[in-house]
Amino acid sequence: MLAASVGLFLISGVILFLLQPERRAWAGWLSAVPPLAVTTWQLLVSLPFLGSEAGSSSRTAELVNGAIRSEQYSWIESLGMSLSFRLDGLSLLFGLIITGVGAAVALYTHYYLENDKRQGYFYLALFSFMASMLGLVWADNLLTLFVFWEGTSITSYLLIGYKHDSAAARGGARNAFIVTAGGGLALLAGLILLGQESGSYTISEIVSRPGLTELPLFPVILVLILLGAFTKSAQFPFHWWLPGAMAAPTPASAYLHSATMVKAGIYLLARLHPALSDHPLWLWSLLIFGGITMLLGSVVAVRHWDMKALLAYATVSQLGVLTTLLAFRSEAALLAVVVGILAHALYKGPLFLVAGIVDHAMGTRSLGRLAGLRHSLPVTTAIAVLAGVSMAGLPPLFGFVAKESLLESFFGAAEHGDLTGWIALGAAAAAGAFFVAYSMTFLWDAFLRPVAQDESLTVTPGAPHRRAPTPVLHAPAAPFVAAPLILVACGTAAPFVLGPLSGFFTLAAGSISGSKIDKHVSLWHGFTPALFTSIVAIALGVVLFLNRDLLRRSLLRMPRRIRGVVLFQRTLDTIYTLAQITARLSQGYTLATQSAIVLLAAFVPVAVALRHIRLNDLMPDTTVLAGSSETILILMTIVSAYVTVRVRTRLGAIISIGVVGVSVTLFYVFFSAPDLALTQLLIEVLTVVLLVLVFTKLPPDTRPPMQRLKQFRNLLVALAAGAFGFFLVLFNSSVVMQAGQTIGGYFLHNAVPGGHGANVVNVILVDFRAFDTMGEITVLAIAALGGYALLNAPRVRLPARSEPAQDKATEQERRRGTSGEDS
Amino acid sequence: MPELYLRLLNRILTPVLLLLALFLLVRGHNLPGGGFIAGLMAAAAFELQILSRGHQRVRRAIGPYLNSGIGLGLAVAICSGIFGLMEGHFFQGKWFEMNMPLLGHVEFGSPILFDLGVFLVVVSFATSYLLGLSRISDGAAFRSEDVDLPPAPDDARPNFSVETDQSSKESAS
Repeated sequence: MLAASVGLFLISGVILFLLQPERRAWAGWLSAVPPLAVTTWQLLVSLPFLGSEAGSSSRTAELVNGAIRSEQYSWIESLGMSLSFRLDGLSLLFGLIITGVGAAVALYTHYYLENDKRQGYFYLALFSFMASMLGLVWADNLLTLFVFWEGTSITSYLLIGYKHDSAAARGGARNAFIVTAGGGLALLAGLILLGQESGSYTISEIVSRPGLTELPLFPVILVLILLGAFTKSAQFPFHWWLPGAMAAPTPASAYLHSATMVKAGIYLLARLHPALSDHPLWLWSLLIFGGITMLLGSVVAVRHWDMKALLAYATVSQLGVLTTLLAFRSEAALLAVVVGILAHALYKGPLFLVAGIVDHAMGTRSLGRLAGLRHSLPVTTAIAVLAGVSMAGLPPLFGFVAKESLLESFFGAAEHGDLTGWIALGAAAAAGAFFVAYSMTFLWDAFLRPVAQDESLTVTPGAPHRRAPTPVLHAPAAPFVAAPLILVACGTAAPFVLGPLSGFFTLAAGSISGSKIDKHVSLWHGFTPALFTSIVAIALGVVLFLNRDLLRRSLLRMPRRIRGVVLFQRTLDTIYTLAQITARLSQGYTLATQSAIVLLAAFVPVAVALRHIRLNDLMPDTTVLAGSSETILILMTIVSAYVTVRVRTRLGAIISIGVVGVSVTLFYVFFSAPDLALTQLLIEVLTVVLLVLVFTKLPPDTRPPMQRLKQFRNLLVALAAGAFGFFLVLFNSSVVMQAGQTIGGYFLHNAVPGGHGANVVNVILVDFRAFDTMGEITVLAIAALGGYALLNAPRVRLPARSEPAQDKATEQERRRGTSGEDS
Repeated sequence: MPELYLRLLNRILTPVLLLLALFLLVRGHNLPGGGFIAGLMAAAAFELQILSRGHQRVRRAIGPYLNSGIGLGLAVAICSGIFGLMEGHFFQGKWFEMNMPLLGHVEFGSPILFDLGVFLVVVSFATSYLLGLSRISDGAAFRSEDVDLPPAPDDARPNFSVETDQSSKESAS
């Protein structure tokens, strides 16, 4: 069923793509069906396992090895890879978020992208992403997990770059992809090391294995895995790709960049928590990077006018909070992670969707241009307020519960005299104040603020002027608003049904820690230090909100060059520059110089090998010396090769080089290699025809005689190339080589039984060495494209010697033409 | 205008060469032949066409398919590897055997498909070069005054300077 669900998303993506959903009014509802079905299935399956109260565990069905369901399919057995899925508390939490929020986003997309011709394509990418994400959180094999991890990177690239005619979308998609896929490579290395060192690739086995932290390679594994998780979850110093990815259409932002994909890193950290967390390196790296991310995100969020950018930085900061929580090992911290993840999905998702609705209805989403939306978009405003207050962490909403449980867990750590607890608490309180500030800014500026007449409010230099409430250009359809409404309703209801929900929370937190958890969350804790911290943070937040213009101004003074995107762009530019320098150093000489470099480089290994080999060993087996017919052939080859070089006319050279080729073909015939002979003969024919085609049209050769030095160099290179071939053949046919193991016997013996073919050469080409052939035909394809570009370029038609640029073009042309004789 | 004998020969030889290419491709797994050789053979057939009927006609007939032929060939080759991936390894051979009514016992496997991919790439590659070069050589009636080039570096061959009125020439011919 788990694999079938993943498959269902892949198939429904294709169906939606073929359906042309932009033409059908019911497509939005249809697209919500598969995610809803999977949500329902998950709920039904997991319901017996959710003991609602601590005492009623007798009712609770027992987990098998801590899992609700597990499935395994063999895949690449030779590599120990299997497609194994496992549904436990944590996977269930993520699975429900993915499919639940996914259903709302799928419905929403149809209305957001109405009249968009490429809506089907978006659905295809979106559903492929859903499938990857579900596979990622359900995977029970490190390599399976990685495959789906990469799947999310690729599909998110497609989703971010959906508006491919906008430079911002392309840049954002590229940056996001480079960062997450680069981290993915580190992750792959880390996962393989982890699998090799622990002896198993099955995640549930690895996490139940004690003593992983004592492995000598453990720090390396940890750093690599953290790199993967931090890049995916936009932790400092990789946080900047997330705001850049806001160029994506809003449904993608809401889904990928708040509810699901960025949580993949958090999921990975939580998944491997029992195995890796018992190490100071884990604690400190998560604490430091999570703390910095949390503070940085929340502070920078206040600065932004763009609704989506503000929300993006808010997301960065919330991801920092979750990372910081995962640094700790206490039950309270794990529970706070679970609550935080769900709460965040239920308020940030709707907020993004609201931003999309506003953008869609008003044509702008800049806070500076919007005012008083509560009059024009009342339902949307209600959604925004409920979600925004939850984001601020004000009682009695779900965000408050999440914040309380997180402060509580930090206090728990701090009470034990733990320095880390105090650090986390301080950072969380400071970030909490900014949470309040940006949530209030978001709500006030766009929705609640009365029509701003006071121009003096707009003191920020360069900021757009605030105007009267923008008239609704395009009223949102009811289902468009319904999607965030449903999500926010779930989020608002959650704190009041904490009793039934707590079984779900403890199940999820229990599967992070690997043991049963007896703590519960509640809306009201009494007057605890956490509550006082919270109150102080809220008060501070209100003060910050009132002074937000001052804050914005001081933040804008931050120099541009230390921003992540700018630094990254600079790094990329440096790489391009380096590539150009390298190309300039190694390319662009005349054909003779260029081929001299290549040929001499080929000769070097032979020369090195010659120093280590006694020449006596190279003597060929004297019993197979050439007979009379071969001797004639050899003489013919030598003579015609000499004639090729010395002959004065081009046609003569072409003919004699044809003779060389045919003599070589005859060698193949004598030594019974018909395949090689055929290939060589055909190549000779085509080459001669080509050369005749080109060379007969060339003007007569009037070059000045070659310089002595160049002649000498050419002689040297020719000798080296000849020696290269000569000694290579000698090595191969020497007694030493023949006595040792050769691979020829293997091919001869296995061609018919293994390769089903009697022509060994062909079997080697297409079966035994198919990878090599694949590489070769890829090279051919690239060469064909290059040749096509050069030979069919319009600039070839231009007269020479008019401009320097054309000189270059014709020079390239000349190279192409002369290298034609090699092919 | 190409010579008469070439045009007459072409009528007979081109189908023969193409059939030969097909024959070499099909039998390649057990007897001399295979995708690479068959591709070159087919390219030779197209070259004959180019020589006898002019490159414009050939270009009009098959030109648009060449670049996509390369892509298709690569795709076919890669797809043939995926059959093996399901069993265990990328490019691991996978074979089917069956008894066909006319042909008798037939074996068909993913390496044959791979060979087809090689064939497509090679024939498209070679024909693409042949077409491109014959266009150049057709248009490139080199002017004698272009020969005294600026001192060419090294072993440079005389410049490929192409006549300006080439396009008009092309349309005329």
